[in-house]
Amino acid sequence: MRKIVAAIAAGGLSLTLLGCPGGHVEEPEAMALPPDLRADYDVFALRCSKCHSLARPLNSGIDDDEFWKKYVERMRRQPGSGISVEDSVPILRFLHAYSLQERAKREQRTGVLPGGASFVEGDAAVPEGGR
Amino acid sequence: MSTRALIAAVGISLVVALAARSPAYADEEKNFAGSAQLDYHLVPSEPGAVAAPGPSTTFQGFTVESALKVAVDISDHLSANVKVCYGCHGFELDMAYFDFRFFDELDLRVGRFSPTFGAFNLRHDPANHMTSDKPLPYDMGRMLRKGDWHNGVLPSPFPMNGAELNGTHWMGNVAQLDYAVYAATGFKNDTDPNPTDFNLQESHLPYYVTSDPRPAAGARLALTLKAGSAGDMTLGASWMSGTYDPTNRLLYVIVGGDFALRIGHTALRMEYLIRRQQMDTSNPDIFKYTIAPVDGDSFTKQGAYVEIEQPVTRALDVLARADGMLRIGNVSNAAVGSGTEAAAYSPLTNQSWVGRETLALAYAIERNFRLKGSVELWEFSYNDLAGRETELSFHLGAVGSF
Repeated sequence: MRKIVAAIAAGGLSLTLLGCPGGHVEEPEAMALPPDLRADYDVFALRCSKCHSLARPLNSGIDDDEFWKKYVERMRRQPGSGISVEDSVPILRFLHAYSLQERAKREQRTGVLPGGASFVEGDAAVPEGGR
Repeated sequence: MSTRALIAAVGISLVVALAARSPAYADEEKNFAGSAQLDYHLVPSEPGAVAAPGPSTTFQGFTVESALKVAVDISDHLSANVKVCYGCHGFELDMAYFDFRFFDELDLRVGRFSPTFGAFNLRHDPANHMTSDKPLPYDMGRMLRKGDWHNGVLPSPFPMNGAELNGTHWMGNVAQLDYAVYAATGFKNDTDPNPTDFNLQESHLPYYVTSDPRPAAGARLALTLKAGSAGDMTLGASWMSGTYDPTNRLLYVIVGGDFALRIGHTALRMEYLIRRQQMDTSNPDIFKYTIAPVDGDSFTKQGAYVEIEQPVTRALDVLARADGMLRIGNVSNAAVGSGTEAAAYSPLTNQSWVGRETLALAYAIERNFRLKGSVELWEFSYNDLAGRETELSFHLGAVGSF
């Protein structure tokens, strides 16, 4: 009886999971990205979520391009990362734009006028993945 | 106590020292990260479960696993990682190593680290997997009846002192070949007069300096194939072997294979591990069965898991997992790590298995903070003292990272 219940539960779960399309987690905020940056974000989201959540890089506080370059290089060399040299270009492009936006938000909070570019407007436009 | 305090002091000092900005190395890039997970494990089907870890008990109650890590890119070729954990064994120096990378295909890693083995260990931090506990082959102290099983096949993490040569080679933009070979301190049991299994407490704490001169050795080879922007697939094989007794007579060999497939945001992972290990049979009285004339001095422990992880909404992930272990071989009645030959009842037989099915949810309240919940259905090949073969347990926890 227990095995039957387990089989039914497993079957139901499988169907539920299969019903979730692969792109289901495309975050509404990410959809607000400009088209050119959206493709960069997709590479970042796919490659950088294999071993850890996207929160790790997004909340790292890094806003320096040279730092990002070394960071992504270190991650690229991780076994099985799936991050090729070609992938690091769009990833770094996204992180550069994201850093500018984060810096602008910080400056706004501290009363300093935004000095950096922002790829989207408002807090809701930040890719709040949590993944 | 003094050993743990010393480890904690040294480890935290290293992290703080590396994290602190030094004018002499103003161009160094440092990344400071950390995580903490609090989990409550409820085992209503086992009234004997207690809220304190013991050698033969199921651990019910709160556990906390926390870690602080700093990674420093010292130059284009040199980087350092130091990570201090607090969890199963009190304070532990999980990482303290330097990587000197000549080029992508050749990196020299020296210090204290978990040697490259299998696929899971890279995600062993609770912030990097959706369940509160680890798959059974890698379990370290969270499984039911853990005292019977002495944890998983290769309890993770497994920090050791040693050196590793590793590298990664890309073939075009579609295939990544990873490899590693290493020599490290390995697992130990210096405590028991007749060692029959690893003493994991020993292996993790007092062996920062070891009197055992013979290191364990191992290797890994893995191939990752990318399917454009759709996902990727990784196939890997790992091996580790060494001796674990003071006289270097008792051999263990661990072999593993792993497969991972990602299509979009859906991940399918599976791993299989087998450990073959010799036991000291010079005192047959401590064994449950008569020592067999052929291969009677060894046992095998196999473990496997398969899991599928699927984001359901932007904040909610679902994971379904099936895992288990099989142990074949004679059973020691002496408690591992007790330092004595005092008899301790072991309900294992010469062929025992455990299976588990897990359904887990992880809900991200915000980017760096998740709630985790799971239900686990356990089935054992043997009865416990109360005559039960099946158990039900629940995890409810929260994990944060930065």
